[in-house]
Amino acid sequence: MYQLKNTLDGGQVILRVADYANIPFDEANTDYQAFKKDLANGVELQDANGTAMTASEITAFLATLK
Amino acid sequence: MAYGTVNTDIVSDSSGGRLAPISSVFRNRIINGGCVIDQRNAGASVTITNTSNTTYTLDRWGAYGSQASKFSVQQNAGSATPPVGYSKYLGVTSLSAYSVLTADYFNLLQYIEGYNIADLGWGTANAKTVTLSFQVYSSLTGTFGGSLSNASNYSYPFTYTISSANTWTTISVTIAGPTSGTWATDNSRGIQLSFGLGSGATGYAGTAGSWSANYYLTATGTVSVVGTNGATFYITGVQLEVGSSATGYEYRQYTTEMQLCQRYYEKSYDTNVVAGTASSLGEFFATGTSDSGGNCYASIRFAVLKRAQATMTGYKGDGTGTGSWQYERSGSSGSFASNFDAVGYGGFRCYTNNGSAGFTATVIYGHWTASAEL
Repeated sequence: MYQLKNTLDGGQVILRVADYANIPFDEANTDYQAFKKDLANGVELQDANGTAMTASEITAFLATLK
Repeated sequence: MAYGTVNTDIVSDSSGGRLAPISSVFRNRIINGGCVIDQRNAGASVTITNTSNTTYTLDRWGAYGSQASKFSVQQNAGSATPPVGYSKYLGVTSLSAYSVLTADYFNLLQYIEGYNIADLGWGTANAKTVTLSFQVYSSLTGTFGGSLSNASNYSYPFTYTISSANTWTTISVTIAGPTSGTWATDNSRGIQLSFGLGSGATGYAGTAGSWSANYYLTATGTVSVVGTNGATFYITGVQLEVGSSATGYEYRQYTTEMQLCQRYYEKSYDTNVVAGTASSLGEFFATGTSDSGGNCYASIRFAVLKRAQATMTGYKGDGTGTGSWQYERSGSSGSFASNFDAVGYGGFRCYTNNGSAGFTATVIYGHWTASAEL
């Protein structure tokens, strides 16, 4: 399970809940690559408020990522 | 012969060992080939349970199993005597007698960054020949396998033979560089070196001795280490170099080897302390006044520039929590979620958001790890 976290610099990071790892939105980061693959496989993503995103919301979110 | 020319490509020392010319310093494209660096586990055993992604064991060495918990990896597992000239090895131990399914594969691997193989010219008509050499020791005998591949679709399976069980054996495999395939020359995966530990008949195993447009991780018909409960497979002195013959293992000073590893993984703890352990050694402390929003920051520089923006994890120095740091101020103390931002190749920022203005004289402290593995 993942959760989006807002950061003080105005951006976001991805919190991997299992081990509290903070994953940056960097295409070269292999954890980020795994995050996108996991989402495509149905792994849960929560928004910054801790609310689970729906499948359609995740699809829309993925579409915003390159 | 013209003055200043040395008409040989091999120089031997008095005992017959081959010496490389000075110009080939850093000829080994493998990092931690001598298995001396183990930042994550400090010599502890790791069972490979993740069937989705590579699990990193000793620095730069990954392991993967399509079925969980079939083998473990540990520096100097089994306490065998390393080969002469080495102090450490990477040890694989099979945890069951598993019969691999058709699509299964189990392997030990190292991804080599594209920047470090850019000179090989792979994928072009000028592709250079390379030689892989290593020391290997196993409780099993027979024909073992491995491969060189790109990130996804081009590979060269190879085989090698271990004739005597529980005996260190020197292996050398020379491979003509591929004139086809796509080989990254940037900060992504350039070459993947894989040692097979068991693989099904199809999918990830291919015919040894030739390049093909497939993602083969080992050769067909090779020994399955995971097929024998308690079987061992130890390896060290791994070297991949340009040329058609193996030269002596390139020993690099410990500091240099550590710095090469830290491009991909770094931690605030001492070298022999596993992240999450109670330890104040190396723990980061910052004292300051929070801003109007109650935020107190700490900016930290990495010892070595990272390959990519790193995955950051925070730890409490008292060993009681992952994902958090601690704070103190007059009359108050506690912990907070370790928030990281501004994570660049050279450093990052960690902060607490206490949510109250004038949260003065705050001390924040904690440990961290940064992973930018391939």
